[in-house]
Amino acid sequence: MSSTAAATRLVPKFDTDRIAVLALVVVVVVPLLVFVVAPLVGIFKMSFVTADGIGFGNYVRYVNSPKFAKVVGNSLAVATTTTAITVLLAYAFAYAMRRTAMPGKRVFGSMALLPLFAPSLVQALGIVFLFGRNGVINRTFNLGIDIYGFWGIVISDVFYSFPHAYLILSAALAVADARLYESAQVLGATGARIFRDITLPSTKYGILSATFVVFTIVITDFGNPMVIGGDYSVLATEIYNQVSGQGNFQMGAVIGVMLLVPAALAVIAEKWIMRRHHATITERSQPLMVVRERWRDRTGLAFTAVICGLIAAIVLVVVVASFVTLWPYNMHVSLRHYRFEVQNGLKPLWTSIWVSLMAAGIGVVVSVGAACVTRRLRNLAGQCLYFLSILPAAVPGMVLGLGYILVFNDPSNPLEALYGTLLILALCNVYHYHAQGYLIAMTSINQISRVFDEASTSLGGGFIKTLWEVTLPIIASSIISVGVFFFVRSMVTLSAVIFLVTPVTQVAAVSVLLLDDAGNANQAAAFSVCIMVVVALALLLFRLVLRMSGRRNVLLIH
Amino acid sequence: MRTWTGMIRRLIALLLSSFCLAAQAGEITAYTSLEEDDVKVYLDAFNKAKPGIKVNVLRLSTGDLAARMLAEKGNPRHDVIWGWAVTQMVDPRFLEMAEPYKPVGIDKVNAAFKDPEGRWFATTGYFAGFCVNTEVLKKNNLPMPTSWQDLLNPVYKGQIVMPNAASSGTGYAQVVSILQMKGEEKGWQYLKDLDKNIAQYIKSGSRPCKAAATGEYAIGISFAFSGVKQIMEGYPIKLVIPSEGAGYETEVNALMKTAKNKEDAKQFLDWLLTLEAAKLYGERSEMSSVPGAKASEAVLKAGLPPDVSVVLYKMDFASSAKNKDRIIAEWKQKIER
Repeated sequence: MSSTAAATRLVPKFDTDRIAVLALVVVVVVPLLVFVVAPLVGIFKMSFVTADGIGFGNYVRYVNSPKFAKVVGNSLAVATTTTAITVLLAYAFAYAMRRTAMPGKRVFGSMALLPLFAPSLVQALGIVFLFGRNGVINRTFNLGIDIYGFWGIVISDVFYSFPHAYLILSAALAVADARLYESAQVLGATGARIFRDITLPSTKYGILSATFVVFTIVITDFGNPMVIGGDYSVLATEIYNQVSGQGNFQMGAVIGVMLLVPAALAVIAEKWIMRRHHATITERSQPLMVVRERWRDRTGLAFTAVICGLIAAIVLVVVVASFVTLWPYNMHVSLRHYRFEVQNGLKPLWTSIWVSLMAAGIGVVVSVGAACVTRRLRNLAGQCLYFLSILPAAVPGMVLGLGYILVFNDPSNPLEALYGTLLILALCNVYHYHAQGYLIAMTSINQISRVFDEASTSLGGGFIKTLWEVTLPIIASSIISVGVFFFVRSMVTLSAVIFLVTPVTQVAAVSVLLLDDAGNANQAAAFSVCIMVVVALALLLFRLVLRMSGRRNVLLIH
Repeated sequence: MRTWTGMIRRLIALLLSSFCLAAQAGEITAYTSLEEDDVKVYLDAFNKAKPGIKVNVLRLSTGDLAARMLAEKGNPRHDVIWGWAVTQMVDPRFLEMAEPYKPVGIDKVNAAFKDPEGRWFATTGYFAGFCVNTEVLKKNNLPMPTSWQDLLNPVYKGQIVMPNAASSGTGYAQVVSILQMKGEEKGWQYLKDLDKNIAQYIKSGSRPCKAAATGEYAIGISFAFSGVKQIMEGYPIKLVIPSEGAGYETEVNALMKTAKNKEDAKQFLDWLLTLEAAKLYGERSEMSSVPGAKASEAVLKAGLPPDVSVVLYKMDFASSAKNKDRIIAEWKQKIER
């Protein structure tokens, strides 16, 4: 004790600072190891456990089974088709939003993000109501469209992943150097030529990034294929069936590893591309001013209106179906589906809200903490922490969830008491979305000039003091948006928590899946509506609070 | 080291006490494969009879529940098994988890519906039934099927949905009854022929009926009572019980050796055999082992035969339990997509 005190007196600043950093490193790194790395190790280990000891037996067996090639082929076919369609549509949409002078941009911009606020399977639910064999379209026009299977999954996932691609591409198209466009016009280039030679090359990183993000989302999506896939199995549903249907944890783990590979490759490729992405905009660049151009603007308007119309139609039909007596035979308004005549009733909704609040709180602390520590460390350790923090982006929710059962439902694990609690659901959500929360915080922290750090340090402020009095107040708005991000994701996510819920900890998105799985599509729709209402109210509330505290233009959507 | 992990564990338990909802007196956890809406009705009645006991329920398909219990075997989370297929229950891996218990009133239950050693007893059961959507039938000009054999008619191609035998208890009972009545070789051939008409194999036993109810498909192969429910809801459904005889399954209940709250669990099991519960079985299920369970008027009006025993195929349960793993593996290899 006395020696420490003496040391503190000798080099006071250095020491407390170091301890503070070290403490924060421990607070940030240890949970990352426990809640991300350990479950992954658990999955890998389990995938090698066979009846006759440790080995590649499970892999050999699975690769040789005829079903394997089919399921992998299905997954890749769905993911590539969906990615191609989504990126194309989202690019056109973002182009219309950023490069035309069409009216109504604010409304269209918000409508495009609608799918972010609903559980993933809502798209599939809506599409069944609309395009099902006995859906609105087939009944009205007598077309005989059969939506179940490949196209059903592709269409649902296009809408599900659309906002993610749109946000990336919109950011890519937002910046442009007007000087380039002016010179091209002076040199007599046509519109098509300008698009091909200037616009497209300058947004290629955005396109690549969107491609990989969409691919990852689709290949790991579980909710939509469950609802609309019929007998068309993909890797994500196959894990669920192996584990939940047949109790085959080894095989589930093998497929988990298989799913991890493409997802991880996509994420690595995306990060690698973004690193190469040198700024094309310099301080001498002129912002591009969009001038009116009748036909282009009208086409843009028509296109965005159609896309937004479809997005809205899917959500709307779910809302309508939830208020109808006997879809599709008796269309009188009724509240009967909101009675939720299942054992837990509406309770999972409150559970979800509570879990999401916990996730928001914990998520803010760990992801902002990780960002602060990364900035402070700078060196190799910082890079390691960066890698650890974004690692979850490459881990599909189902794989993480399965890893959690393997690790935390083990009586020899001192953390076993966590299993079956709401806290583990919150933690699972936090670490499932850790990468995104961390990157939001990182972007915001990196905008603070290091001059502040240096000024604070030279004035005698330690790491903690600088953090508390300089960094955190500057990024306060981002912190709030990180919290909102975790709240919203936790409300709608399904894939990771599906393995972890217990009768008392059932969450709302799982209720939607179980209701639909039991064939109660209307009650599933009603429950989805409740989730969407909670998310919308939460966003409104945050907007209001932010506005009252004088902060505007805070991005609440990521 | 031991005390150290122990201390951490105690600390975490303490931290969690605000979130944690562990088993405590007055609370039990039941794992079930009964339908969600039935669970609610039964529990509402039970809560009125025994207000002091709260029952937490996890509902999963028959096969899924088996997987869940095996996965948690080292550390079971439930106190009772409630309404779960007997062909699963008699698997030694599950029997060894059950504690023999003879609930009040067990003597009234026919010997066929209880384990001589008292490890399980059945209260309800289900048998195969086709849910036929009359509107879709008319629109597509299709004949009304009356038997399994009728379903092979090529006019039904892409119009029939059926449960997945690997996850659904209903599906397994159907497949095994066909194999038993036709013999394995002809049975598998029948299932392969039928496969040509099947649009989807669905994981749950009741969902095919609901898919037929909303008109997504003409015929949903399901269990009888799910058809009754859809008819009572007002959907254009007719319940058809295959004329060859309907494969059936009984749903059993058991006490777990590892139950954390055995006293309340036993009270719950006792209640399942009361007259009050039996009356509900008459309204919510197609067959019951408990005397006093009589099908209600509405149920009979919806098309459930007054004497169920005449429509049932006489299953060999010992064989269907013994061959379960093999048949499911074969089904997955030959039929599953």
